[in-house]
Amino acid sequence: MDTGVVSTAAAATYEPSFGMTSSSDARADERALVIAAQRGSSEAFAALVRLHQRRAYAVCRAIVLTHEDAEDAVQEGFLHAFKALDRFLPDQPFGAWLFRIMANASLDLVRRRKVRDADELPETIPMAFRDPGESDELRRRLNMALTKLTDRQRSVIVLHDVEGFTHGEIGEMLGIPEGTARSDLHHARAALRRMLKDVRSDL
Amino acid sequence: MTDIRLLPDDDDEMIGGLRSLYAAPSGDSYWNELESRIMARVADVELGWWTELDRWVRPAIAAAAVLLLAAGVAMFRAHQTEGDIAVDNMLSSPSVPVSTAIRPSLQDDREARIRYLFGCSAQEPSCSAQNNKR
Repeated sequence: MDTGVVSTAAAATYEPSFGMTSSSDARADERALVIAAQRGSSEAFAALVRLHQRRAYAVCRAIVLTHEDAEDAVQEGFLHAFKALDRFLPDQPFGAWLFRIMANASLDLVRRRKVRDADELPETIPMAFRDPGESDELRRRLNMALTKLTDRQRSVIVLHDVEGFTHGEIGEMLGIPEGTARSDLHHARAALRRMLKDVRSDL
Repeated sequence: MTDIRLLPDDDDEMIGGLRSLYAAPSGDSYWNELESRIMARVADVELGWWTELDRWVRPAIAAAAVLLLAAGVAMFRAHQTEGDIAVDNMLSSPSVPVSTAIRPSLQDDREARIRYLFGCSAQEPSCSAQNNKR
Protein backbone atom coordinates (compact mmCIF):
# COMPACT_ATOMS: atom_id res chain seq x y z
CA MET A 1 0.00 0.00 0.00
CA ASP A 2 2.02 2.93 -1.29
CA THR A 3 -0.03 5.64 0.32
CA GLY A 4 0.42 4.18 3.76
CA VAL A 5 4.14 3.65 3.42
CA VAL A 6 4.80 7.16 2.15
CA SER A 7 2.58 8.72 4.76
CA THR A 8 4.03 6.70 7.59
CA ALA A 9 7.45 7.90 6.64
CA ALA A 10 6.15 11.44 6.51
CA ALA A 11 4.49 11.07 9.88
CA ALA A 12 7.70 9.94 11.47
CA THR A 13 9.23 13.33 10.77
CA TYR A 14 6.11 15.45 11.12
CA GLU A 15 5.37 17.03 14.46
CA PRO A 16 2.09 18.92 14.58
CA SER A 17 1.87 22.19 16.41
CA PHE A 18 -0.62 22.18 19.26
CA GLY A 19 -2.78 24.83 17.68
CA MET A 20 -3.71 22.64 14.69
CA THR A 21 -1.08 23.13 12.05
CA SER A 22 -1.78 25.48 9.18
CA SER A 23 0.51 23.61 6.80
CA SER A 24 -1.41 22.16 3.91
CA ASP A 25 1.33 19.55 3.45
CA ALA A 26 0.81 18.34 6.95
CA ARG A 27 -2.94 18.11 6.36
CA ALA A 28 -2.39 16.18 3.17
CA ASP A 29 -0.06 13.83 5.00
CA GLU A 30 -2.61 13.36 7.73
CA ARG A 31 -5.36 12.70 5.21
CA ALA A 32 -3.18 10.12 3.47
CA LEU A 33 -2.50 8.49 6.83
CA VAL A 34 -6.20 8.34 7.61
CA ILE A 35 -6.97 6.75 4.25
CA ALA A 36 -4.17 4.23 4.68
CA ALA A 37 -5.39 3.41 8.19
CA GLN A 38 -8.91 2.96 6.86
CA ARG A 39 -7.52 0.47 4.36
CA GLY A 40 -6.08 -1.53 7.23
CA SER A 41 -2.53 -0.21 7.66
CA SER A 42 -1.70 -0.42 11.35
CA GLU A 43 1.52 1.51 10.69
CA ALA A 44 -0.56 4.41 9.43
CA PHE A 45 -2.76 4.25 12.51
CA ALA A 46 0.34 4.16 14.72
CA ALA A 47 1.55 7.28 12.95
CA LEU A 48 -1.78 8.97 13.68
CA VAL A 49 -1.44 7.96 17.32
CA ARG A 50 2.06 9.42 17.36
CA LEU A 51 0.80 12.67 15.83
CA HIS A 52 -2.11 13.21 18.15
CA GLN A 53 -1.45 11.45 21.44
CA ARG A 54 -0.06 14.49 23.29
CA ARG A 55 -2.98 16.67 22.36
CA ALA A 56 -5.39 13.81 23.04
CA TYR A 57 -3.83 13.39 26.47
CA ALA A 58 -4.30 17.10 27.13
CA VAL A 59 -8.00 16.91 26.24
CA CYS A 60 -8.54 13.89 28.46
CA ARG A 61 -6.49 15.35 31.27
CA ALA A 62 -8.66 18.46 31.26
CA ILE A 63 -11.76 16.38 31.83
CA VAL A 64 -10.66 13.64 34.23
CA LEU A 65 -9.13 14.23 37.63
CA THR A 66 -5.93 12.27 37.54
CA HIS A 67 -3.06 11.51 35.22
CA GLU A 68 -3.82 7.79 35.43
CA ASP A 69 -7.42 8.34 34.37
CA ALA A 70 -6.22 10.52 31.50
CA GLU A 71 -3.97 7.70 30.30
CA ASP A 72 -6.88 5.25 30.45
CA ALA A 73 -9.13 7.67 28.60
CA VAL A 74 -6.52 8.24 25.88
CA GLN A 75 -6.21 4.50 25.30
CA GLU A 76 -9.97 4.03 25.27
CA GLY A 77 -10.36 6.99 22.96
CA PHE A 78 -7.86 5.69 20.42
CA LEU A 79 -9.51 2.29 20.56
CA HIS A 80 -12.90 3.85 19.85
CA ALA A 81 -11.37 5.89 17.04
CA PHE A 82 -9.82 2.77 15.52
CA LYS A 83 -13.15 0.95 15.59
CA ALA A 84 -15.01 3.94 14.14
CA LEU A 85 -12.39 4.80 11.53
CA ASP A 86 -14.51 3.38 8.70
CA ARG A 87 -17.17 5.98 9.42
CA PHE A 88 -14.76 8.94 9.37
CA LEU A 89 -14.75 11.07 6.22
CA PRO A 90 -11.12 11.83 5.35
CA ASP A 91 -12.00 15.33 4.14
CA GLN A 92 -13.00 16.33 7.67
CA PRO A 93 -10.36 17.50 10.16
CA PHE A 94 -9.18 14.32 11.88
CA GLY A 95 -8.06 16.13 15.03
CA ALA A 96 -11.48 17.61 15.77
CA TRP A 97 -13.11 14.20 15.26
CA LEU A 98 -10.54 12.46 17.42
CA PHE A 99 -10.77 14.99 20.25
CA ARG A 100 -14.53 14.61 20.39
CA ILE A 101 -14.00 10.89 20.83
CA MET A 102 -11.38 11.59 23.50
CA ALA A 103 -13.74 13.95 25.32
CA ASN A 104 -16.51 11.34 25.23
CA ALA A 105 -14.17 8.63 26.50
CA SER A 106 -13.12 10.94 29.34
CA LEU A 107 -16.68 11.88 30.24
CA ASP A 108 -17.61 8.18 30.28
CA LEU A 109 -14.72 7.49 32.60
CA VAL A 110 -15.70 10.34 34.91
CA ARG A 111 -19.26 8.94 35.07
CA ARG A 112 -17.99 5.46 35.84
CA ARG A 113 -15.69 6.81 38.55
CA LYS A 114 -18.59 8.68 40.12
CA VAL A 115 -20.71 5.55 40.25
CA ARG A 116 -17.80 3.57 41.71
CA ASP A 117 -16.85 6.23 44.22
CA ALA A 118 -20.42 6.67 45.40
CA ASP A 119 -19.91 3.67 47.69
CA GLU A 120 -16.40 4.57 48.75
CA LEU A 121 -15.18 7.52 50.76
CA PRO A 122 -12.02 8.81 49.14
CA GLU A 123 -9.14 8.83 51.57
CA THR A 124 -7.33 11.50 49.64
CA ILE A 125 -8.28 14.18 47.19
CA PRO A 126 -7.12 13.12 43.73
CA MET A 127 -4.07 15.06 42.74
CA ALA A 128 -2.79 15.93 39.33
CA PHE A 129 0.19 14.25 37.75
CA ARG A 130 3.45 15.58 39.08
CA ASP A 131 6.96 15.09 37.98
CA PRO A 132 8.98 13.69 40.89
CA GLY A 133 10.55 16.42 42.95
CA GLU A 134 8.32 19.13 41.55
CA SER A 135 5.93 20.41 44.13
CA ASP A 136 4.89 23.79 45.31
CA GLU A 137 2.21 25.46 47.30
CA LEU A 138 0.47 27.16 44.40
CA ARG A 139 -0.02 23.89 42.61
CA ARG A 140 -1.37 22.23 45.70
CA ARG A 141 -3.84 25.02 46.40
CA LEU A 142 -4.83 25.43 42.82
CA ASN A 143 -5.47 21.72 42.62
CA MET A 144 -7.63 21.89 45.73
CA ALA A 145 -9.54 24.82 44.31
CA LEU A 146 -10.08 22.98 41.03
CA THR A 147 -11.73 20.09 42.82
CA LYS A 148 -14.34 22.57 44.09
CA LEU A 149 -15.38 23.51 40.55
CA THR A 150 -17.96 21.50 38.69
CA ASP A 151 -16.54 18.92 36.29
CA ARG A 152 -17.61 20.98 33.31
CA GLN A 153 -16.21 24.25 34.64
CA ARG A 154 -12.88 22.60 35.34
CA SER A 155 -12.79 21.04 31.88
CA VAL A 156 -13.66 24.30 30.19
CA ILE A 157 -11.06 26.40 32.00
CA VAL A 158 -8.30 23.86 31.37
CA LEU A 159 -9.22 23.33 27.74
CA HIS A 160 -9.35 27.08 27.14
CA ASP A 161 -6.67 28.58 29.34
CA VAL A 162 -4.18 25.73 29.29
CA GLU A 163 -4.72 24.00 25.96
CA GLY A 164 -5.87 26.99 23.94
CA PHE A 165 -9.05 25.56 22.45
CA THR A 166 -11.69 28.04 21.36
CA HIS A 167 -15.11 28.24 22.97
CA GLY A 168 -16.62 26.68 19.86
CA GLU A 169 -14.18 23.74 19.89
CA ILE A 170 -14.78 23.19 23.58
CA GLY A 171 -18.53 23.30 23.09
CA GLU A 172 -18.27 20.75 20.31
CA MET A 173 -16.08 18.44 22.37
CA LEU A 174 -18.20 18.58 25.50
CA GLY A 175 -21.52 18.65 23.69
CA ILE A 176 -22.57 22.07 24.99
CA PRO A 177 -23.41 25.32 23.20
CA GLU A 178 -20.57 27.76 22.63
CA GLY A 179 -22.27 30.33 24.86
CA THR A 180 -22.42 27.82 27.70
CA ALA A 181 -18.69 27.15 27.33
CA ARG A 182 -18.08 30.89 27.44
CA SER A 183 -20.14 31.38 30.57
CA ASP A 184 -18.62 28.29 32.23
CA LEU A 185 -15.19 29.77 31.64
CA HIS A 186 -16.23 33.07 33.18
CA HIS A 187 -17.69 31.38 36.26
CA ALA A 188 -14.74 29.01 36.62
CA ARG A 189 -12.23 31.85 36.56
CA ALA A 190 -14.25 33.86 39.04
CA ALA A 191 -14.61 30.86 41.36
CA LEU A 192 -10.89 30.08 41.22
CA ARG A 193 -9.97 33.69 41.96
CA ARG A 194 -12.38 33.74 44.89
CA MET A 195 -11.19 30.46 46.33
CA LEU A 196 -7.55 31.34 46.05
CA LYS A 197 -8.25 34.68 47.70
CA ASP A 198 -10.01 32.84 50.55
CA VAL A 199 -6.94 30.71 51.06
CA ARG A 200 -4.77 33.81 51.28
CA SER A 201 -7.03 35.46 53.84
CA ASP A 202 -6.84 32.32 55.99
CA LEU A 203 -3.08 32.51 56.23
CA MET B 1 8.03 32.15 54.46
CA THR B 2 5.04 33.96 53.11
CA ASP B 3 2.62 32.31 50.71
CA ILE B 4 1.31 35.52 49.29
CA ARG B 5 3.67 35.42 46.33
CA LEU B 6 2.37 31.95 45.53
CA LEU B 7 -1.21 33.04 45.25
CA PRO B 8 -2.35 34.41 41.94
CA ASP B 9 -3.58 37.97 42.00
CA ASP B 10 -4.43 38.02 38.33
CA ASP B 11 -5.41 35.63 35.60
CA ASP B 12 -1.92 35.36 34.15
CA GLU B 13 -0.54 33.97 37.33
CA MET B 14 -3.51 31.66 37.75
CA ILE B 15 -3.20 30.41 34.20
CA GLY B 16 0.52 29.89 34.72
CA GLY B 17 -0.32 27.79 37.75
CA LEU B 18 -2.87 25.80 35.78
CA ARG B 19 -0.40 25.15 32.98
CA SER B 20 2.14 23.91 35.45
CA LEU B 21 -0.48 21.70 37.07
CA TYR B 22 -1.72 20.22 33.83
CA ALA B 23 1.59 19.93 32.06
CA ALA B 24 1.76 16.74 30.04
CA PRO B 25 4.54 14.31 30.93
CA SER B 26 7.74 15.26 29.21
CA GLY B 27 10.18 12.88 27.61
CA ASP B 28 9.86 10.86 24.46
CA SER B 29 10.15 7.57 26.31
CA TYR B 30 6.82 8.18 28.05
CA TRP B 31 5.04 8.87 24.76
CA ASN B 32 6.69 5.96 22.99
CA GLU B 33 5.53 3.70 25.76
CA LEU B 34 1.98 5.09 25.64
CA GLU B 35 1.90 4.62 21.87
CA SER B 36 3.03 1.01 22.33
CA ARG B 37 0.25 0.38 24.83
CA ILE B 38 -2.35 1.92 22.53
CA MET B 39 -1.17 -0.10 19.56
CA ALA B 40 -1.12 -3.28 21.66
CA ARG B 41 -4.79 -2.76 22.46
CA VAL B 42 -5.54 -1.98 18.83
CA ALA B 43 -3.78 -5.21 17.83
CA ASP B 44 -5.98 -7.12 20.28
CA VAL B 45 -9.03 -5.70 18.56
CA GLU B 46 -7.61 -6.48 15.12
CA LEU B 47 -6.89 -10.09 16.04
CA GLY B 48 -10.18 -10.74 17.78
CA TRP B 49 -12.60 -13.21 16.16
CA TRP B 50 -15.32 -10.56 16.34
CA THR B 51 -13.33 -8.39 13.93
CA GLU B 52 -13.35 -11.22 11.42
CA LEU B 53 -17.03 -11.72 12.11
CA ASP B 54 -17.65 -8.02 11.72
CA ARG B 55 -15.87 -8.09 8.39
CA TRP B 56 -18.28 -10.77 7.16
CA VAL B 57 -21.47 -9.23 8.47
CA ARG B 58 -22.19 -7.02 5.45
CA PRO B 59 -21.45 -9.64 2.78
CA ALA B 60 -23.49 -12.14 4.78
CA ILE B 61 -26.47 -9.79 4.98
CA ALA B 62 -26.22 -9.10 1.23
CA ALA B 63 -26.00 -12.82 0.45
CA ALA B 64 -28.97 -13.58 2.68
CA ALA B 65 -31.01 -10.85 0.97
CA VAL B 66 -30.14 -12.24 -2.48
CA LEU B 67 -31.05 -15.77 -1.36
CA LEU B 68 -34.36 -14.61 0.06
CA LEU B 69 -35.15 -12.76 -3.14
CA ALA B 70 -34.26 -15.80 -5.26
CA ALA B 71 -36.36 -18.08 -3.05
CA GLY B 72 -39.28 -15.68 -3.28
CA VAL B 73 -39.07 -15.53 -7.08
CA ALA B 74 -38.79 -19.34 -7.30
CA MET B 75 -41.81 -19.84 -5.06
CA PHE B 76 -43.83 -17.34 -7.05
CA ARG B 77 -42.94 -19.03 -10.34
CA ALA B 78 -43.72 -22.50 -8.98
CA HIS B 79 -47.08 -21.34 -7.73
CA GLN B 80 -47.84 -19.69 -11.04
CA THR B 81 -46.88 -22.83 -13.00
CA GLU B 82 -49.07 -25.01 -10.81
CA GLY B 83 -52.01 -22.74 -11.45
CA ASP B 84 -51.37 -22.71 -15.20
CA ILE B 85 -51.20 -26.50 -15.32
CA ALA B 86 -54.40 -26.85 -13.36
CA VAL B 87 -56.24 -24.46 -15.65
CA ASP B 88 -54.85 -26.17 -18.78
CA ASN B 89 -55.88 -29.60 -17.50
CA MET B 90 -59.33 -28.45 -16.69
CA LEU B 91 -59.90 -26.80 -20.05
CA SER B 92 -58.21 -29.28 -22.40
CA SER B 93 -59.12 -32.81 -21.27
CA PRO B 94 -62.00 -33.32 -18.88
CA SER B 95 -61.25 -36.63 -17.17
CA VAL B 96 -64.66 -36.93 -15.50
CA PRO B 97 -67.75 -37.77 -17.68
CA VAL B 98 -70.16 -34.95 -17.89
CA SER B 99 -73.04 -37.19 -16.85
CA THR B 100 -71.50 -37.92 -13.45
CA ALA B 101 -70.39 -34.44 -12.99
CA ILE B 102 -73.99 -33.24 -13.11
CA ARG B 103 -76.07 -34.35 -10.17
CA PRO B 104 -79.31 -36.04 -11.25
CA SER B 105 -82.23 -33.88 -10.46
CA LEU B 106 -84.72 -35.29 -7.95
CA GLN B 107 -88.36 -35.58 -8.81
CA ASP B 108 -89.62 -34.04 -5.69
CA ASP B 109 -88.77 -33.46 -2.07
CA ARG B 110 -90.56 -36.49 -0.82
CA GLU B 111 -88.60 -38.89 -3.00
CA ALA B 112 -85.42 -37.20 -1.94
CA ARG B 113 -86.18 -37.69 1.74
CA ILE B 114 -86.99 -41.38 1.21
CA ARG B 115 -83.81 -41.92 -0.69
CA TYR B 116 -81.89 -40.26 2.05
CA LEU B 117 -83.50 -42.37 4.81
CA PHE B 118 -83.01 -45.71 3.04
CA GLY B 119 -79.70 -44.85 1.58
CA CYS B 120 -80.48 -46.10 -1.88
CA SER B 121 -80.06 -44.51 -5.23
CA ALA B 122 -82.59 -43.95 -8.00
CA GLN B 123 -80.78 -46.40 -10.30
CA GLU B 124 -81.34 -49.42 -8.01
CA PRO B 125 -84.48 -51.35 -9.06
CA SER B 126 -85.02 -52.95 -5.62
CA CYS B 127 -85.05 -49.66 -3.98
CA SER B 128 -87.52 -48.28 -6.49
CA ALA B 129 -89.78 -51.31 -5.86
CA GLN B 130 -89.68 -50.77 -2.11
CA ASN B 131 -90.54 -47.20 -2.58
CA ASN B 132 -93.47 -48.05 -4.81
CA LYS B 133 -94.84 -50.51 -2.21
CA ARG B 134 -94.91 -47.81 0.39
